[in-house]
Amino acid sequence: MTLTAISRAWQHRWLLGSLLQRELRNRYAGTAGGMVWVFLHPMLMLAIYAVVFQYVFRVKLPNADPSQPYVVWVAVTLWPWLAFSEALSRGTVAVQQHADLVKKVAFPQELLVYSAVLTSLLIHATGYAIVLLLLWGWGYEFRFTGVVLVGLWAWLVLGCAATGLSLFLGALHIFLRDVEQLLGQLLTMLFFASPVLYPLALAPEGLQAALAFNPLVHVFEPLRIAALGQGFPPWSTLLVALIGGLVLWIAGLAWFHRLSPHFEDQL
Amino acid sequence: MTGPFAPLLRLQGVNKDYPLALTKGGQRLAQVWSLLRGNVPRHVFHALRDISFEVPRGESLGLVGVNGAGKSTLLKLMAGVVTPTKGTIERNARVGALLELGAGFHQEYTGRDNVFLACALMGLNRRETLARLDGILSFADIGEHIDQPIKHYSSGMVVRLGFAVATSVAPDVLITDEVLAVGDESFQKKCMTWMEGYLSNGGTLLLCSHSMYHVQKLCRHAIWLHEGRMHMQGSAADVTRAYLAWHEERDRAAKSRPSSHEAPTEQSAAGIYQVRSMYLNGQDSVEPLALPPRGSLTVSGALYSPDGRTPQVAVGVVRADGTPIYGVVSEMDGHELAPGADGLFHYAITFPELPLLPGRYVARSHAMDPEGLRLFDHVERPFEVGGSSREFGYTKLDHRWHRDPMSPSDE
Repeated sequence: MTLTAISRAWQHRWLLGSLLQRELRNRYAGTAGGMVWVFLHPMLMLAIYAVVFQYVFRVKLPNADPSQPYVVWVAVTLWPWLAFSEALSRGTVAVQQHADLVKKVAFPQELLVYSAVLTSLLIHATGYAIVLLLLWGWGYEFRFTGVVLVGLWAWLVLGCAATGLSLFLGALHIFLRDVEQLLGQLLTMLFFASPVLYPLALAPEGLQAALAFNPLVHVFEPLRIAALGQGFPPWSTLLVALIGGLVLWIAGLAWFHRLSPHFEDQL
Repeated sequence: MTGPFAPLLRLQGVNKDYPLALTKGGQRLAQVWSLLRGNVPRHVFHALRDISFEVPRGESLGLVGVNGAGKSTLLKLMAGVVTPTKGTIERNARVGALLELGAGFHQEYTGRDNVFLACALMGLNRRETLARLDGILSFADIGEHIDQPIKHYSSGMVVRLGFAVATSVAPDVLITDEVLAVGDESFQKKCMTWMEGYLSNGGTLLLCSHSMYHVQKLCRHAIWLHEGRMHMQGSAADVTRAYLAWHEERDRAAKSRPSSHEAPTEQSAAGIYQVRSMYLNGQDSVEPLALPPRGSLTVSGALYSPDGRTPQVAVGVVRADGTPIYGVVSEMDGHELAPGADGLFHYAITFPELPLLPGRYVARSHAMDPEGLRLFDHVERPFEVGGSSREFGYTKLDHRWHRDPMSPSDE
């Protein structure tokens, strides 16, 4: 069943392009700045983080290289997180938001989820590139092979995971509108349970063991280590995470197609 | 079964249930759980029951029935928007559905942008869309507005654009839901013309309409849905006649019970134009009127108008087997019916020296709305042209034999 669904979605790949284009323009429709926001938004965020953590809290991480202040350190993982959390929250409500379309036109509905997720990933990937370039221009040090290779990997893993989870939650959301409420809370918890604002090593040992159950730890930690030149994660780690992401996607798709025949009844 | 002779659509024992809205949170959880396990929900509304029929290539099928009979649900099932609860639907064709004109259009975007997304929804890629763009624009006929946001369009423009897009792919099967009920007269005529062309080019049409006139004009067969079941299936003429008769019966029953609070049906609420009487040469008889060869025929009678506006009458002559010979609407000749008492309007039309060959014929009177677009009711009376003739066909054509093919006036 999932295979026929995949082939049907593939036949409609042009639709994904159109949906993607529309979703991108939707975000900035009616704004004066338009696509400038894609660039402006990450710069403003970076400035806020720099001011708050660098000059107000004066965060100093133990054993940190002086050429890699806290703001650099946060930036490397913050943007992947933003992409993941936004992709997940937008992907989850995508089908319900397009109820008018789902009720009137026959097409592979998972494309709505894909386009919502892809849009978030694309926008934040652009932001990520801008921020990294800015920081590099200011003379902070990165390991370029690390940040590009492992960065791409992280984006891929997070994208697959966000897609799978969005398919799962999005289908559930049609029946239980609680999902959207719950997801906001869960994402806040997940943010603090992930080593985005702090390195895993900073947490007490008992907590570290508990945090290791959070799959995101195994994405953010290798990414930061590679980007800051503290080593390259073993290939096996990269591969396992990638497989995990794909499994989530396929499982989410199977779940989605189990429930999608009933969407129209509920919308 | 596939191949050139396979039906394009085949429905077998199709049921569709809609779950009733659940108010308690716990029920909602239980419902998801049972759906995941593949169970059938228990608290349901039976929208469709035991629907089976086939749609062969070239068929034109009308769906009639009151609101809530399940017509739209059935069209959605065939379009693939809705999944049947039970039974199977086989699709061996590219199905195009016009469930709502302009579905999926986004108000903020220009007509052009919307055309691209709508085409992508139908599975076209950018190149295929570009190839169809000119045709779409010329059919929609909205000129420079195509680069304006849809929100500045009149509803007629949105409808025209929606129809133009949906028909641009020329699907094997076209499914339309009350499409002809929207838009102005010229648009309706344009749609009718398009559909007639589509049908004569071998297209297959599924039409849902409250207008019996459209069903009769466009469809060969019809299905009457009643409370989710197939109440009647047959030729479009038979089904629409039975349906209208049922309506009239129901309206009469409703009138005799003035205290009843039964919700009015869409037709009785809007009123229905009726043929109240019909005479052939002044006679009202179910026995065929005997007419001499080249005799003159006068069809007269009265129409009832529920809203006091002057209705149009269509008068036609068909062979006893239903083959149409001639029909004309008062509106075509600019004739206005003479008003009488009690909302009645009188009509009379004479066909002098009727050139019909001997045989049995039927004269029909149809009541139409003042715009001459919708046909509501019809009454027929048989007549027989006497005499004998060895000529062929239905009607005598004026003719003259001559020897010199270049000079017809030559004796």
